[in-house]
Amino acid sequence: MEGILATRAPWYIAGPLIGALVVLLLWLANKPFGALGGYIEFEEWVARSRRDLGWRPLFIAGVVAGGLLSALTSTGWRPTLTYGSFDVVFGSALWVKAVVLFSAGLLIGLGGRMAGGCTSGHGICGMSLGSPASMVCTATFMATAVMCALALAWMSGA
Amino acid sequence: MKLKAVGFTIGAAFGFIIGWARLTDYDVVRDMLLLRHPDVFLLMMSAMVTAAIGARLLRALHVRSVLDATPIAWTTQPPQRKHVAGSVLFGIGWSLAGTCPGPVAAQLGRGQFAALFTIGGLLAGVFLHDRLRVRRKAQIPRTTGQQTTAVAGL
Repeated sequence: MEGILATRAPWYIAGPLIGALVVLLLWLANKPFGALGGYIEFEEWVARSRRDLGWRPLFIAGVVAGGLLSALTSTGWRPTLTYGSFDVVFGSALWVKAVVLFSAGLLIGLGGRMAGGCTSGHGICGMSLGSPASMVCTATFMATAVMCALALAWMSGA
Repeated sequence: MKLKAVGFTIGAAFGFIIGWARLTDYDVVRDMLLLRHPDVFLLMMSAMVTAAIGARLLRALHVRSVLDATPIAWTTQPPQRKHVAGSVLFGIGWSLAGTCPGPVAAQLGRGQFAALFTIGGLLAGVFLHDRLRVRRKAQIPRTTGQQTTAVAGL
């Protein structure tokens, strides 16, 4: 078991497991799966005095805890500010990282809120439930992200 | 309370799988978007197919939810302009940050603290959307269909 957890999970294990979580949430609570809603409900709780925090921010807290667990069961918890080849594409200066990632996050938050879902909400859950809006969203953000990544790689040469 | 416990637990399992599959790595996402490796696309498709089969089984068998005994059901939406416009912005942000709302939380748990910048921006983006909408609503009073909370999903 330790050996399996130490190496990267192959797609044919991780994918069906995530799909099973979508079904589990539907069966237990009759709720659609999706990560973005946690940020939305948290923002409403902080900035718009929403009375109850809701369950979706707790879902995100769970994702943080699950991430920690995945580190502990593989390479160990190693806090870092490095970010893979992001540091090659954009340089490793901390202020550059702060500006680029904050701006990217802003687009993710604003765009995702407009579209009503993210990669998990539209891309996995909405698609699986046959939502036409989710199909349009997924096709749009996939195509945009691929074109944007190709353009960025071409410009940076990395 | 039970719903929150279910949310946290399913979130934790999701975060663990995201970390285990290294969807928290900038390079895994980048290689996917540069069409160098098909594995993340295959992961998403297999998740979708599994969920599609499971959800339809639950509905076909008239299963009721464990927590509130409601019949398992869902609603879908027709595509609108906001879906396309929002998804274009989302796609640009996704490729720049190399992450999206689920994996960025798992990054934080794994100790990849650059995620704090992305999460800060994400919350600011949600806040900005609500400010813009409040202003728009103030300009055009009494629009039809009072939407107060639109939860992400479909």
